Amino acid sequence: MPGSESRMASEGRATPVPAAEPPREETRIRRALRRLRRGLRAAGEIYEGIYFAPYRSQIYRSYREERDTFLLLGFADLLGAPNPVAFYALELYPDLIEEFHQWHMRIGMPRAPDGGFRCC
Amino acid sequence: MGRPRRILDREVVFFGGKGGVGKTTLAATMALEAAREGHRTLLVSTDPAHSTSDVLETRLGGEAREVRPRLWALEIDPGKEADRYIEDVKARIADATPPRLMAEVERQIDIARVTPGAEESALFDRFTRIAEEAGKTYDRLIFDTAPLGHTLRLLALPELMSAWIGGLISRRRKVNVLGRMWRNVAGAAAGSEDPEEDPVLRALTERQTRFRRARTLITDPHRAGFVFVVTPEHLPVAETERSVRMLDKYGIPVAAILLNQVVPEDAGGTLLEARRDRQRQYSARVRASFSRYPVHTIPLFEGRLHGLAALERLAEALPASERAT
Repeated sequence: MPGSESRMASEGRATPVPAAEPPREETRIRRALRRLRRGLRAAGEIYEGIYFAPYRSQIYRSYREERDTFLLLGFADLLGAPNPVAFYALELYPDLIEEFHQWHMRIGMPRAPDGGFRCC
Repeated sequence: MGRPRRILDREVVFFGGKGGVGKTTLAATMALEAAREGHRTLLVSTDPAHSTSDVLETRLGGEAREVRPRLWALEIDPGKEADRYIEDVKARIADATPPRLMAEVERQIDIARVTPGAEESALFDRFTRIAEEAGKTYDRLIFDTAPLGHTLRLLALPELMSAWIGGLISRRRKVNVLGRMWRNVAGAAAGSEDPEEDPVLRALTERQTRFRRARTLITDPHRAGFVFVVTPEHLPVAETERSVRMLDKYGIPVAAILLNQVVPEDAGGTLLEARRDRQRQYSARVRASFSRYPVHTIPLFEGRLHGLAALERLAEALPASERAT
């Protein structure tokens, strides 16, 4: 007991010693660099935003369409079309429940279609 | 290198034939021989009638049980396999679904459980998992398959399903590419999540890989083969001819034909003599139709062949070339 106490005490004394004057100077430089980097990144994002603005909606639309096509192929049976892998597609459902919900809301169905998975 | 000559030289052997021709008994006999030859052998029954338990005079279940030194056996119940799969999906959905919707979601999944093809899909899923054990946990896999039509469709499935799943995978990749593009241009508007790995794509790829491997295995004439058990009677012969043609179409190799329940030449009695005469023309037809494959004759035994002692007797009737060395 007394031995461990004295060791802790000596460790506690040892740590603050190297943290003297020079590191404080370094910290200031680092902070400045970090601020500069953050500023540059923000400027880059603004530039990108202006540059990509016209494409944003277009990209989003294709992304959405592609997700819908995937849902249609994976769960064709819900719409009455034959799907040879319907049983295996079931295991994908937990990961797709959110996309399915977004899809039926978008096509103007406030509730999930009958006969299919009900997300709401 | 030519094809392996012996049935037991193949890692995976399927026993098929019309119901009642003795395929379960012969599959069990062959499995015993494989174990005796020193191979770690797994005998798998996919027959809903579960007669493998009766033949081995032991209670088998869905998990492998050692019934003899180096011989394990299991019986797949398609209904139970489907239930297990459904329970797994439900457990995963529970994490993603608000509690108030849980009952409704579970109801929908229960509907999927009873749709046509569900049990067949679950059975096939289990088959591909067992096939992965070939050459790893077991040296020999022997499948006693359900009545033919069912089995052949099962073996044709990998091709059909690989194509469909392959289509889903390429679409899903496109979704992910567009998702990444969208997140790049939208920044904060796209939300913070940037999935490292898409779980949907991962599940699809895992399934496709497993199906492909199963198909590669069952179409490899050096590693797998189908053994047809046929009795010298009209319907079994006609059905086996059709089945062999179908296997050819799917590229599944035939290892041998076992001509079973042939009345021995020295058997007496007018009834047996009449039956022997009738059998002769069908035996000749089997030899002509299947001249490309080894045809082995197994004699008719008196009484039922049940239990390990009876299987030993049957093994002695196998041609020397097919027995354990």
